[in-house]
Amino acid sequence: MTRWGMVIDLDKCTGCQSCSVACKAENNVPHGSPEEHAKRQAPFWHKIIAVSSGEYPAVRIDLIPMPCMHCDDAPCVTVCPAQATYRREDGIVIQDFRRCIGCKYCIVACPYGARSFNYKEPEEEEYHRPDLPPERADRGTWPFPHRVHGVVEKCTFCFHRIDEAIKEGKKVGEEVVPACAEACPAHAIAFGDLDDPESQVSRLLASRQWMRLREEMGTSPKVFYLTG
Amino acid sequence: MESRKPGSSRKGSNRRSGMSRRTFIKLSAAAGATVAASSMFGYSALGSPVYSPELPAGEDVITERWVPTSCLNCATRCATRVRVVNGRAVKITGNPLSQVSEGENCARANIGLQVLYDPARITTPLKRTNPAKGRGIDPGWTPVSWEQALNEVGEKLKALRAKGQPESLLLLYGLNSVSDEDIIRRFGAAYGTPNVISGDGLDNEADKSGEWMADGHYTQSAYDLDNTSYILSFGASILESYKPLARSLRMWGKIRRERPNRARVVVIDPRYSITALKADQWVPINPGTDGALAMAIANVIISEGLYDADFIENWTSGFDEYKNLVIEYYDPETVSAITGIPADTIRQIAREFATTRPAIAWRGRGATSWPNGSYTSYAIFCLNALVGSIDVPGGVTYQEDPEYHPMPPTTEDDVAGDGRARPALDLRKTVRFPAAEVATNQVADSILEDIPYPVEIAVGFNSNFNMSAPGAGRWDEALAKVPYYIHVAPFISEMAEYADILLPSTTFLESWAYDHSPPGSGFAEVRLKQPAVEPLYDTRNIVDIVFALAGRLGDTVAQSFTGIGDDAQGFVRYRTADLASWDELLERGVWVGPDYEFYKYDRIFLTPSKKFEFRSGNLKAALRWTGDDIDSLTCLPHYQETDFLGGSNPFPLILSTYQPLLDIENGSQNYPWAQEMFLVMHGQGWNNYAEINSQTAQDLGIRDGDTVYVESPYGKVKVKARVFEGIHPGVVSIATGQGHYAGGEWAQGIGVNPNEIIGVDYDRLSGQAAFFNTRVRVYRA
Repeated sequence: MTRWGMVIDLDKCTGCQSCSVACKAENNVPHGSPEEHAKRQAPFWHKIIAVSSGEYPAVRIDLIPMPCMHCDDAPCVTVCPAQATYRREDGIVIQDFRRCIGCKYCIVACPYGARSFNYKEPEEEEYHRPDLPPERADRGTWPFPHRVHGVVEKCTFCFHRIDEAIKEGKKVGEEVVPACAEACPAHAIAFGDLDDPESQVSRLLASRQWMRLREEMGTSPKVFYLTG
Repeated sequence: MESRKPGSSRKGSNRRSGMSRRTFIKLSAAAGATVAASSMFGYSALGSPVYSPELPAGEDVITERWVPTSCLNCATRCATRVRVVNGRAVKITGNPLSQVSEGENCARANIGLQVLYDPARITTPLKRTNPAKGRGIDPGWTPVSWEQALNEVGEKLKALRAKGQPESLLLLYGLNSVSDEDIIRRFGAAYGTPNVISGDGLDNEADKSGEWMADGHYTQSAYDLDNTSYILSFGASILESYKPLARSLRMWGKIRRERPNRARVVVIDPRYSITALKADQWVPINPGTDGALAMAIANVIISEGLYDADFIENWTSGFDEYKNLVIEYYDPETVSAITGIPADTIRQIAREFATTRPAIAWRGRGATSWPNGSYTSYAIFCLNALVGSIDVPGGVTYQEDPEYHPMPPTTEDDVAGDGRARPALDLRKTVRFPAAEVATNQVADSILEDIPYPVEIAVGFNSNFNMSAPGAGRWDEALAKVPYYIHVAPFISEMAEYADILLPSTTFLESWAYDHSPPGSGFAEVRLKQPAVEPLYDTRNIVDIVFALAGRLGDTVAQSFTGIGDDAQGFVRYRTADLASWDELLERGVWVGPDYEFYKYDRIFLTPSKKFEFRSGNLKAALRWTGDDIDSLTCLPHYQETDFLGGSNPFPLILSTYQPLLDIENGSQNYPWAQEMFLVMHGQGWNNYAEINSQTAQDLGIRDGDTVYVESPYGKVKVKARVFEGIHPGVVSIATGQGHYAGGEWAQGIGVNPNEIIGVDYDRLSGQAAFFNTRVRVYRA
């Protein structure tokens, strides 16, 4: 059974944020404003967070790229009253805009802050601002081509790319990867089938120390971070 | 929710309605046959899947193509591919054919979309109606035709030349394509002005002069990162702003985890930069003392016999004098007191550096944009020679620049010859700046004081020195004084506000150009720029603007622009003709030169001794006519204590600045994607901060998030405090890139510009502006 997962090498990562910007471009995630930023309402499907510890000069800051963790036991799926969020058979956790009732329960439940609420008013034409690309993904087509005001959004592991690649008989993880992985100049982001022992992600996890975020929550996230 | 179609209701789209998918397929086949740039070029060569659109009902995608071109959001000018749907650019990725960045881009490349579709772009030539010039004064722009604008500028230029004063024309340029820079310099030469001034004097000229003293190459260094085992960075922002950036990012992944031996990285910097954060060891240093540290490292290497005796013996000169100097004055204990770095740490770094070969000592602006930065630069660069890292795999390399088809010499009349022989406004190669190639920041003072003569007309090409130069306010006064100023850029900026005529140039996604990166890769690589989209507005390529002006000037100036192509595309084609066929360039977007060759010791040292010089013969020659006393120290690398601007009472702290990766270098910052992720280390966007050590903050009664004044002898800025563990207690640091007060809504009024309160000072030898030796005090507002 295929189970898509991501392995991010924090030793290779340079904190350049190509991943975050590429995600915005790929998925046409609208940008925020200073006001939205201050209210933490700016939509991000992917961002890098900074975790700092220690005191000068023994300071340490970790920069952690944060897509959705696509948890195998996803709290967002459990709490969603509308079944708008569900786990696909391949492990990708999906948000169906057409079913979402905008209750934000999932945003509260997500331990990773991976979800954004679409506060944009339709009349803002947020996806048609002159600075934004048309509502078309890089490869493959979105099943929900239009965003809707008042629903929750999040990272999809670029499932449009994956589905298209499978249809075309391409190797996911080698020929086709999510936009963030593709954009990474340090090649720090690997993507592939966690259940395939021969996949790059499996081989990386077998050969290196890794961690997952908030393991204690029992969410079984499918985004792994290589540390040592 | 109303359903929307791609390309609908947007300016600049080529959408044609009512076309079926079947028609789309037919059309794209036809496009392949007729349009070279979109000829469905070698997808297989690019390793990219051909996408066959399967569209939701009602979505009529008409055309889709990938255009190989290149970026211009920093001087790296990376090769890119742009996905264009219905004539609209929607995505930018790397070009796998590029070997400098191995097909990768940084985050800046993606921002290109917002540069193209920036709502603050200038859509037509503009003429000033309000004669008063100054900050906050409305220029009263009124649209004019290109014909009218070019005629007016042409007449002004012609009249000045007819008066026999071509030197009173000042051409300034910021970040441009290499081809645009070539054509701007050619215009200056043909017109007859020595005053073609780049922004390099604000960047890393002292890095360049340091290498020139040692080996005669006036350049920033290239490093063979692929094969290096150890990187010792002195204030080099390797992962944020040092160019070629995308190459450094790619190589970082490679040297850390894609080969058996993981390279070790140590970063010397008063601030815990992104590079320091990602390094194995961060060593905070007292600001401005990197030169002393480099000399102490040499002391340890030499006294412990860890140097490459073979290379020193055969390919260097002046070693004994250098050796005596470092042994006598720079033992680790003495230098520890200067730098604040424990002597044991100095020894540890020195031993590692000397024994983990091949090793690189990498100097950057943080260490060298200081008074006497040239000597610091020289001291650091010499460490590479000590461990034999000169022109070896994993060491310093000598960048090969592409050989563009040579242009014929300009046609010169007496006016041009006399004008060009006049001294230049930046006082380069004078007693003031004896080794300088360009001293950008001096030009503002020269304009204000008519040194050596008044400026009558100035043209700025994508420059914004009113933001990027220390003592930024002087540029406001200087530009207000210039009788006639022409600004050429795609958008309004602080500098553009002073223009009498604004000529809107195309963005790099609409332009023809050729480009290459600053030194880094060793081997040469050229990137083509071809329009990914048709120009959105009534804008022109800079090459076309210069051609049009040359034509209006007539005579020898016009003659100098014949036979090199008739327009921007023709010029690019002419200059790249020797590299590859035009069709191949259009299709691949990249030309890569031959593999790099190491160990060229018999020909790389451009010094009197034809060797690497620890005692600089080049410097001695440059100083010979200045009347300087040349003593035993003058031509050796050494440390000089910095003269700070402002006394420690009442200004106890040192102001430092740094360039975050998402400070876009084109002179604007009106890019929401860049703004909302601006400071990744602080998890903050849409702002910048006074970053201050927690202990210092406590002493000053300042808490995180407080609004504070940062005040220097030259002014003050009001900014939020960021209490931070990653900064030297004696330093307050402010990121550059914010503080815009002109231009678009996403840049204006956000954060502060630290250059407003930095004093004016220079590295004398190179003319590099000093950025980091201004003292400040910080107090709650």
